[in-house]
Formats: sequence, structure tokens, C-alpha cells
Amino acid sequence: MSPTTLRVTGGRVYDPANGVDGAVRDIAIRDGKIVDSVDGGRTIDASGMVIFPGGVDVHSHVAGAALNFARGLTPENYRAARRFLHAPGRRQGLGGITPTTFATGYLYAGMGWTTVNEAAMPVLTARHTHEELHEVPIIDKSTLVLMANNEFVLDLLEAGETERARHVVAWLIWAAKAYGVKAVNPGGVNAWKWGRNARVLHEPVYGYETLTPATIIEGLAAIVDDLGLPHPVHLHCNNLGIPGNVETTIETMKILEGRRAHLAHLQFHAYGGDDWGTMRSAAVEVAEAFNANPNLTTDAGAVLFGDSVTLTADGPWQHLLYQLTGRKWANLDVENETGCGIVPYVYKDRSLVNAVQWATGLELMLLIDDPWRVHLTTDHPNGGCFWRYPEIIRLLMDAEFRKEQLRQIAPKARERIVLGDLDREYTLSDIAVVTAAGPARALGLTEKGHLGVGADADVTIYPGTPDGDGILFSYPRYVLKGGEVVVEEGDVRAVTEGKEFIVHPPSDEGTAEYLRPLFEKAYTMSFANYPVEIERVKGADVRPLH
Amino acid sequence: MGGKVSCTLGEVTNRADFIIFWGGNPAECHPRHFTKYSLTPKGRFVPDGRKGRTAVLVDIRETPSAKAADIFLQLRPSKDFEVLTTLRALIKDQRVDPAAVAETGLTLEQLQDLVDRMKKARFGAMFFGMGLSMTRGKHMNSGALLNLAAEMNAFTKFVCMPMRGHGNVTGADVVLRYTTGYPFGVNLSRGYPRYNPGEFSTVDLLVRGDNDAAFILGADPGATMPQPAIEHLASIPTIVLDPKVTHTSRLSRVHITTAVTGVSAPGTAYRMDEIPLPLAPALRSPYPTDEEVVRRIRRAVARRPAWQPVDENVRSAIA
Repeated sequence: MSPTTLRVTGGRVYDPANGVDGAVRDIAIRDGKIVDSVDGGRTIDASGMVIFPGGVDVHSHVAGAALNFARGLTPENYRAARRFLHAPGRRQGLGGITPTTFATGYLYAGMGWTTVNEAAMPVLTARHTHEELHEVPIIDKSTLVLMANNEFVLDLLEAGETERARHVVAWLIWAAKAYGVKAVNPGGVNAWKWGRNARVLHEPVYGYETLTPATIIEGLAAIVDDLGLPHPVHLHCNNLGIPGNVETTIETMKILEGRRAHLAHLQFHAYGGDDWGTMRSAAVEVAEAFNANPNLTTDAGAVLFGDSVTLTADGPWQHLLYQLTGRKWANLDVENETGCGIVPYVYKDRSLVNAVQWATGLELMLLIDDPWRVHLTTDHPNGGCFWRYPEIIRLLMDAEFRKEQLRQIAPKARERIVLGDLDREYTLSDIAVVTAAGPARALGLTEKGHLGVGADADVTIYPGTPDGDGILFSYPRYVLKGGEVVVEEGDVRAVTEGKEFIVHPPSDEGTAEYLRPLFEKAYTMSFANYPVEIERVKGADVRPLH
Repeated sequence: MGGKVSCTLGEVTNRADFIIFWGGNPAECHPRHFTKYSLTPKGRFVPDGRKGRTAVLVDIRETPSAKAADIFLQLRPSKDFEVLTTLRALIKDQRVDPAAVAETGLTLEQLQDLVDRMKKARFGAMFFGMGLSMTRGKHMNSGALLNLAAEMNAFTKFVCMPMRGHGNVTGADVVLRYTTGYPFGVNLSRGYPRYNPGEFSTVDLLVRGDNDAAFILGADPGATMPQPAIEHLASIPTIVLDPKVTHTSRLSRVHITTAVTGVSAPGTAYRMDEIPLPLAPALRSPYPTDEEVVRRIRRAVARRPAWQPVDENVRSAIA
């Protein structure tokens, strides 16, 4: 039986959403929620420890057809991966770069993260994504459905039928049982279906007369606002990864003026230069523009040196990366909706390009003034694995350590970055903002990311002093999820089932009948089988709209 | 090198104007493929349907599928890899040895013509069958074709996928991948997944006699596997779950009749392009579903003491 009441006493609490900055406070928990006080139940003595809200990952790839494709593509990565042994109540699995489902839950919880947003889901394979998420234990989950290359939506935006487009987007969100809208390389993934890309924001998308990436971005941002979704449009800008893409990124911010939006993995969109030889960090320009646009949030998409698998709906970029690396390449275009590319990749500290990428992610986090608007991510597994977040936290908190690390990278890269000049050090409170409070707010999850009365009792308790590697956040002493002690002394102690957050925006009653004939032409399955049945989403929690 | 450049079947329907079938006979093995996905249907960007597509069949014999193709290329048995390597050279304008080409049963002119047509295509799709993947060269052959498709993307859009079959084999592959990381040939005997095709794949385990029991679901190895594997299955406790009595049932200790998935049991089946399709049962069955039987066996097994030492804290936390 799980205890219905629990107290955590004597710890230093970092709860920036409620203005608590390291004060010693007791935390009382009843029935999975944080309350004023409780009588009886277990007491955890957290004296000398620090207490954070459970981490919230705003952008990660942990489940779905694309990630599962990546698993199959790279069996060699699992040989060196952390093993999770089968035990009563615990399932076997493997960690590594693309952890298996059960391992994903254990690894996130083991690190103190309790909510994860899966950032890319097609409608057509949403049923599969939910099946996988159901087998990711402990943590709560949400999903974003891919919309910026959906031909139904693009055709309507081209025709100027914005109201109909809004109904279609709403219908598709509920069909996928998603939480929000993702836009990846607007127009570019669609053009990739003819082997092309969309490089210029104000030029028509290949195959369309007037529709441009800019009109797709504007259109979707407006639709998401009008529908009142808790999370704004989640945008992967055009020209990801390409030297000189800073112009595209800043122009995108202009297009989004007056709208809410989240810019995903900003590091991959903050490069200057004209080609790989002249590539430099443009974090200064991007951060300046971002600071001036309070309507936006972003996540770092930071890069760490070592092995990764790049995995994105951005098909044309992945073809380019395949040509650059000469390594494996998987591609999976999804009829009518989107695409996907996968290329294994190694970030090397002696590589000019990789060193610039590594610095750019950190620079953005240090140059964006308001920590509430920039969240800690690696765009897992693209820039590095989520279980390496503690390494980034150390780099953010310790300017001396950063300078030491700078000496390791390709010397030429040092002239292309400004990291060496940045002395800012994140405080513990800043870390609580970028790992929990900020992303929870950006996702519109009001009961996450803080420790006030009424919040979900997702609490991470770290030792008060860093471990031997100088890393404070590697191994929490305790992790509470929904008031249950799920991790204790470095071991998973209880395997609970997480929730899945979804939204049900209203769509006009005739939307299904409007879509049916279009669907029957464009798809190769029956329309009745297209929407995911709500019974298939285990632990579904339908969230209110604005 | 390596990988898989692919798409869902609807992309082929809507866009492909050039299609190659290699080492397969869809007319007989996937009879709905031509009409539902790859050849005859009209697509958004192929409004003329069959007239808008060029179809090529590459095989060692003239199967009924040849009638459906515009071009039939008959190569000599076991020369697939050589032909594919030649094509990979030709698309890059590299020199090839005409004498080596002649040994494949095809001429350089035929292959150059194929390459010219491939490069002129707007959207090319390749499908391969067991005539490529299970003949001499095996995965090397599949790899060569997959690489050819990947490399063609430097010139025009190209995709490639295997013609998978046998019920929900793709679904088994998908679920094993997300639970263990590996698609098949997974060994869990150490408590975590290990993978080594050729060592841990079913036929190898059985032929070596490594396993001392077998639990068989949705397959009939008694009809398809080599004799030593079948003999081993007959010598150990073998349990079969199947709606009908199979060859394997006859050599097993226990056969449990189960409901037919998709007819009288619900579930999910994965198409060869990994699209999950929900199965809604039309009939009721007096027999339990596979899932129900597996769950009941699992519950019975769970009541037995654990085979490995378990931390008491973990045990009490779970209890």
C-alpha cells in the first residue's frame, strides 16, 4: 500500500514559482498532492539536502515510430548501454542513446524528472506512440502532433480558408489524442517528398502557388492561439543545422510577433557563417532578438560531445547529414502528413563545427536574460542523451569549469564563439527554473514544476553536496512521483503508471465529413481506423483549454 | 552505408512514377499490393494510375508478376549482388567491366537503360522479396539494394522497403524493438536483452538444442524449419497457441486453441510499412484470446518464487 501522507522535513527548498529560494521548509503530501500540513505517515528527513520540483522536459523524443526506427537502425549502440535487469515488478530493458520504453521511465525518474513531452507524433502512427508511452512507467507524458506539412492543412492555408483549417487542426489533434501542435521545417518536409526543401521563408513551398513557410508559421500560430491550447505552437524552424541560419531564425521571430510560440532546440538554429568552414556561433544575435520578444519561449537543444543519434521529421536535413557523414541513413515519409530522418552521429570536441555547436547551446542559455523562457534540453537524442542533463547543469553553474572545458575543444573554434567571455553562473534557483518551473509553465501544466499547495507531489531531493565528479544532480537521494517514493538511494523502489495529458479542442461537427473524401483519396487505410480510440490512451487526462 | 530509406505505402500510391520489384512475386504473394498501393491506384500526383507509372520486375524467373510489369529483367540465380553493385557504380558514372556484367545474365545496355529511367523518375520506389533477401548473399543483397535507393537520392527521390508477410510479423518486430531495443534474435536469459542473429535466432537455438522448452505463438516452425530444429522441438516441452491445429501442434506437448485475431479477437496489426491498424472482431469466439492465455500463464509463473535473488526492499515495495 502506498502511503497517503508523507512529510519531507529540513531540506532547502527551491521553488521559484512560489518565490522560495533555498529556505528550509517542510513539505506535506496527501493523496498525491502537496498540502499545508499532514498528521502521521512517513517522514523523510531531508536535512542538508536540496529539494526541487520534479523535472519537466519540454522537448524530447522518447517514443513513436521514428524513435523505434532509430532503435532498429543502431543495435550496436546497445552493447555499451546501461542494462536494466528483469526483477519482480520491474521490466528488463536497455539505456543508451535510444533507451527502451521501460528503461526510459526508470532513467528519467532516476534523474529526478517526472514529466516528459514527446515532441513529434504523426496522426497516422499516433496509436503506436501511445502504445509505447503506456510502457514508459512512472513519469507523466504528453505529445505534440506534427502539422506544418500536413497537406490537408497546407491546402486550406493556401486557399485562405483559415477557419476551416482551424477545425481541421482541432479534429486532427483529437484524432491523434495529442496535447499540442508541432511544426517542423514548415513546408520543407512536404517539399522533401519530391527531394526538395523550403529554405526561404517568403518563397512559395514547392508544389504550391502562394503558400510560404511564413504563411504556414503565421497560420498555425494563430490557430493554436484561437483554439486556446495550453502549449503554444512548438516550432522547429526552417534551415535547422545550416551555417547562416541565424537570419531565418530572427525572421521567424518577426513573423511570430504578437503570437505565443515555442522555438524548439534553438542551438541548432543559431549559426552564422556561410558554410561549414566559416560557421560560427550566432548566439549573441539570436539571444538579443529572443530577449526582445517576450511572447516566445525556447529550449536549448544543447549538444554534448560523444555519440548520438539524430532523429527528426526534417527529412531534407537528414539527407544532407547522411551525405556529410557517409554513415547510416533512415528515412520514413508519412503519407499526407510528415516525414522523418535518422542518422547516427558523433559530436567530436576536435571538430570545428561540433565545438561551435557545443558552445552555442551553452551561450544561448547564458545570454537569454530570463531563465523562465529558456528550458534545459538536448533535443534528446539529437544533441545528446537526456540522462546527460546533469553535465549541462554543471557547465551552467560553474564558469571556471566551462573555461577548463574550452581548452579541450578545437582551437579554431574558440575564435568563432563567445563562451569564454561569459561569466554568468546559474544559481540553484535558476536551475529549478530551467529544469522544472519554466517548462511546466510553457506547457501550461499548472500543477507541475512547483511545490505550492495543490501541486502534484512530484518532488526531487538531491544530496546537498556534489558527487566526486563535481556533479550535484546526477543521483537524487529520493524522487517522489504523485506522492509516492519511486526512487530511493539510487534505486527504483516503486513502479507507478504515469498519466498522459491530452486536449480536446472543439471542431465543427461537419469536419469529419469534410475530411472523409479527402482522406479516402490521400490515405491507404480506412477513415474509421484513423482516429485513436480514447480507450487506447492509458491514463488519459484531458486538460482544459484557455 | 546502410540504413533504410523508406515511406508509408500511401506515399507510393500518391507519388511513385517508377517502381521496381526485386526478387519477389507480389502477384501471387501479396495479391492486393498492385491494386491497393503500388501500381493501379490513382494517386494525388499520379492521376493516371497505372498509366502514370513504369514498373520493373527483376527476378531469376518469369513469374506471374512479370505480366504486370513494363520491363522484366531476368538475371542468373545468385547474381543479385553483382547487378546491384554494377547499378551503384553506373548511377555515379563509374566504369564497369562489361565481361563481369555479362555473367549476370543482363547486358550493360539493359542496366544503363534502367539507370537512365531511374534518374528520370520523379519518385522511385523499390520493393524486395525473399528472392533477394533469402538467397545467396542474403542481407548483403538487401543492403546493396537499400544503399542503391539511399544513393539515388542524390539525383531524385527514391525509397525502398521489404515486402514483409506472414501475419503480424512486423508487429512482433516493432514491439520487440521498443521493449528490448532489438527486432528479433533477442536473448533474455541474463535478465536483460542481448542480440545476435545467427546465435540467438530461433532456428539456430533449435538446431543447437540450446533451449529446453518452447512457447510458440502465431507461427508454425514445424512446417518450415529444418529437420534438426523440428526434431528438437519434438523432444522438449513445446506449447503452441494457435486457432487451428498446425504441424507444430502435432509435435507439441500442449496445444491451446485461441480465438482468431482480427476475426474474433481484438488487437493491433502492423502493416509492412509499420502503420498500426486496429483490429475489431466481427464474431465472438468460445476460445480465449492469445493475450488472455499469455496473461494467465504469466500470473501462474509470477506465483512461483523468483529465480534470482531479489532485494528485500524491492520485494516489499512491490508487494
